[in-house]
Amino acid sequence: MAKRDIPEINAGSMADIAFLLLLFFLVTTTMEKDTAYIRDIPKKVENPPEDIEIEERNILKIEANSANQLKVRDFYPEPDDISAIIQKFYTANEKENDLKSNFPLYSTATLAMCDVEYIKLEMQKDALDEMADKIKYDYLKSAQEEWSKKREAIQVLSRETGLTELREIDKQAHIKIVVQKDTRYSIYTKIHNEIEEALNVLRNKKCKEIFNESYTHMRFRYNQNPDDNLEDKPKLDLIKVLYPGKIIEVEPKN
Amino acid sequence: MSKFKKVEGRSAPAMNTASLPDIVFMLLFFFMVATTTKETDPTVQYLAPDGTETEDLTPYKQRSEIDFIYIGKPRNSSRAAAFESGFALSLDNVLTNPIPDGLYDANVVGTWKTDKFDSKPARMNAPIEAVITCIKADGDAPSGLLFSVRKALQEVEALKIAYAVKDISVLKAD
Repeated sequence: MAKRDIPEINAGSMADIAFLLLLFFLVTTTMEKDTAYIRDIPKKVENPPEDIEIEERNILKIEANSANQLKVRDFYPEPDDISAIIQKFYTANEKENDLKSNFPLYSTATLAMCDVEYIKLEMQKDALDEMADKIKYDYLKSAQEEWSKKREAIQVLSRETGLTELREIDKQAHIKIVVQKDTRYSIYTKIHNEIEEALNVLRNKKCKEIFNESYTHMRFRYNQNPDDNLEDKPKLDLIKVLYPGKIIEVEPKN
Repeated sequence: MSKFKKVEGRSAPAMNTASLPDIVFMLLFFFMVATTTKETDPTVQYLAPDGTETEDLTPYKQRSEIDFIYIGKPRNSSRAAAFESGFALSLDNVLTNPIPDGLYDANVVGTWKTDKFDSKPARMNAPIEAVITCIKADGDAPSGLLFSVRKALQEVEALKIAYAVKDISVLKAD
């Protein structure tokens, strides 16, 4: 049988199809990436307990008024200088505690300590009726979680550096943002920008020391694909335990 | 008697356009890779403030673990008077009682968020606390409005919030 010639397919309209697809993507997409500061909102508490006393040294209060002026503690800094103040707040007592300074104190945690505290809390929890005192129960549970997190952090630290104890900042240390209702959004994000900058500088430095890699790079890789980078999670957690970056955003009253 | 042949009747040869699709496909793939999808065309005007040290939201967008709220002055400026402070909200995909002109205030944020969460396909198993709500606000928007949204989110236990800015660190690092 003679070979038959296969007729050529007319590809003239292929370009039209491709143009259609191209235009669809041009219209429905944007070039710019979405970038933001991600924050946690605290859980709502039905009956908030009375004001818990917090030492003044543990609060770094950043205020902004409706005229968009900034105040950090008792200073009136330039917006770009806030980051340096926050870094000072975190590291002032890192090596050695200076009781006279007005910055949060550091304490030392060991594995044995974590275990003891964990069991203590477990016993308190057992003595409690979960239904009757839900708030107290949840509080103990979260405190327990904190200790087990710390335990894990110490394990990672000792595996990487051989250190068996961990210098950690007072758990009450936090940054408090107080704004007014008319404070502009750009000022508000500027404050978050400075906080993030300070935390990133500190965390990157620490992360380089321990893991020889920057924190921002590691976090980016983990966020891109959490399931393939599981070994990064405890490392990131350790850095977060060292520089927790607790932020309280106060609802404006006026 | 002319020395030259007549050129009448002879047309230009057809151009070969066989490689045109290839060129267009190349462009297409470039745009597919270099861009991200727009969630919605906001009904408010907003110009995000500048910032550095931000987190990239693209991975969250790819996993659909993020919703967007836009805060700004209404594009239809005659509607601005209806809102206190002149700033309104624009939400992506409102399911319950959508308003034709797409301008909302902070009261509807709670239902909007839960509706969106309930309509997500089953394979997205992130709990509502982990679904980020990204606020894209105009630089001049008042913080009061921001906190009303935040409070509404707290009520429905959507506990992750993101404050969008335009990252200028690439421009700064020279």
